[in-house]
Amino acid sequence: MAWLETLINGVLLGGLYALFGLGLALVFGVMRMVNLAHGEFVVLAAYFAVFLATQFPGVSPLFFIAPVALAAFGMGYLLQRLLLNRAVATDDPLTPVLVTFGIAVVLRNLMVELFGADPRALDGGALATAGFEIGGLRIGWYPVLVLVLAVLAFGALQWLLQHSRFGLVVRATSDHREIVRTMGVRPRHVYAVVMGLSLAFASVAGLLLALRTSFTPFSGVERLLGAFEVVIIGGLGSFRWALVGGIALGVAQLVGQRLDSNAGALYAHLLFFAVLMVRPNGIAGART
Amino acid sequence: MRPPSLVPWIGFAAAALAIAFAPTVADGGLLRLLSEVLITLAMAQMWNLLAGYTGLVSMGHQAFAGIGAYVLFVASDRLGISPYWMVPVAGLGGALLAALVAPLMFRLRDAYFSIGMWVLAEIVRLLVAKFPLFGGESGVPLQAVRLVEAESFQQNAFWISGAIGLAAVAGVYLLMRSPFGLGLMAVRDNELAATSIGVNVWRNRFIAFVLSGLGFGLAGGAHFMGTMFVSPDSAFDINWVVTAMFIVIIGGIGTIEGPLIGTVIYFGLRELFNTWFAMSGGWYLIAMGCIAIAVMLLAPRGLWGLARERWGWRGLSVQRHPPPRDEASLSAPLPPSTQGRTA
Repeated sequence: MAWLETLINGVLLGGLYALFGLGLALVFGVMRMVNLAHGEFVVLAAYFAVFLATQFPGVSPLFFIAPVALAAFGMGYLLQRLLLNRAVATDDPLTPVLVTFGIAVVLRNLMVELFGADPRALDGGALATAGFEIGGLRIGWYPVLVLVLAVLAFGALQWLLQHSRFGLVVRATSDHREIVRTMGVRPRHVYAVVMGLSLAFASVAGLLLALRTSFTPFSGVERLLGAFEVVIIGGLGSFRWALVGGIALGVAQLVGQRLDSNAGALYAHLLFFAVLMVRPNGIAGART
Repeated sequence: MRPPSLVPWIGFAAAALAIAFAPTVADGGLLRLLSEVLITLAMAQMWNLLAGYTGLVSMGHQAFAGIGAYVLFVASDRLGISPYWMVPVAGLGGALLAALVAPLMFRLRDAYFSIGMWVLAEIVRLLVAKFPLFGGESGVPLQAVRLVEAESFQQNAFWISGAIGLAAVAGVYLLMRSPFGLGLMAVRDNELAATSIGVNVWRNRFIAFVLSGLGFGLAGGAHFMGTMFVSPDSAFDINWVVTAMFIVIIGGIGTIEGPLIGTVIYFGLRELFNTWFAMSGGWYLIAMGCIAIAVMLLAPRGLWGLARERWGWRGLSVQRHPPPRDEASLSAPLPPSTQGRTA
């Protein structure tokens, strides 16, 4: 029974990992660029949520989701317009890697200097501990909520990209950056909106994670590696399979924690390596 | 091809002499700083060998530095052999790890290779921290230090660091003048064209990757021998790579002079920040990060690239010169590459 509970909680935690990976996959799919500062923005969003919680005590942290996501969107938009568009325009795949890695180092150390290195957490109140029982299994409301939010976010993004006018523009820009310019599309603006969306998803995930585990300015590394592993396990550019990748990672981490109390992350990393060995293009990718 | 100029070798000889006599004039604190400078120079050269000449940007080379350090500590403590002799073994440890993981990591391209390497370094760190043999998470002191004379230890450690720093610069210089180096640069500039003229892309990348693993293993082993203490968090610190990367970008990626200039600027500014402005290491890394981002976007060839464009400096150029005119006219000049790096 305890194992089944671990499995179910792993699936639910996977929803959170999938949300981290979603933003990374979106940016890669559209701009062919990996944002190495992804994890640092996740942590920054968590600090912003903690700040809001001290300003409005007694308000449920779930009400902070909207302002945190909006702030992250604005930040992503500005980041892309002011800095990253230049990096993407060089057409050298190394430039964005090095520039975003530099941004990650700057943000990480800035957070250490401004907020200190002590662990922080967001107080979830009753939500963090409430749960229900089904057939003798105890399941928390919080992980269920996380998984539901993750599935909703994936569905919304999928719909947005496949069926809306904005999605059409994004897909066209991704395929032919130069040609869409002749049709009045501004690629710089499209890229900035995509980066904003990516950071908005990441910030929601960051807020939800802060309800469960404490974080420090150095947690960004773990978040980035988790997001990256989700994308690789799922297969590049496939949103639906990224959800599966997230769940696989969540299960691996919690099962690992049960076997070996302080090294759960190790088992998640090892799962990533195992997938890389057997299916280098991910679960959804073609077999090589 | 024109015979290589003697100037670089005179420079190397002068640097070797300076390192040989430094302990007679410098005090303990200065020697420690110089050791760190030379070790960092070696790491920057090795990171540049991979990033600048093969286009593989690794965010996980701290794995090789850490393995080198742990190989040195465990081997010299267990076998009771002087740690000096274990420095080459530390390098072999780094090279072996690189050779083992290369087939897997080369499946990832561009940014995915970068982060995949980072995951690898995390796995190695977590594994090392788990085993009591390596002292667990709290780390281990170098017990074998009792096997060597205490008075000469710091001086010898400095000479070893100096040898590694010099060997890294001279090694990359020789490598880039060889046919192998030419093959590496051809792959970086146009993989398709290089393959079609018979360059073995995978083999070239593999050799460069293993050599850089060797260099980081040597540097990591020598550095932690000098500090006489190692822990998983310090050995597998991502800041090894952050420092190497900032140095290479600011100095000039894909050149031998770049890491040299970058190292001087990096440590010069650091000492300035520490002593004059009394600012913490965190603010220093923030400033370096901003400079590196600005250089990357405004002058991607780095400071050395700027100097070369503006004043035509040649330095340790490994550029090839065409043979005399009558011979050259027999072969039509190759059209300039229409494509940059192939994605």
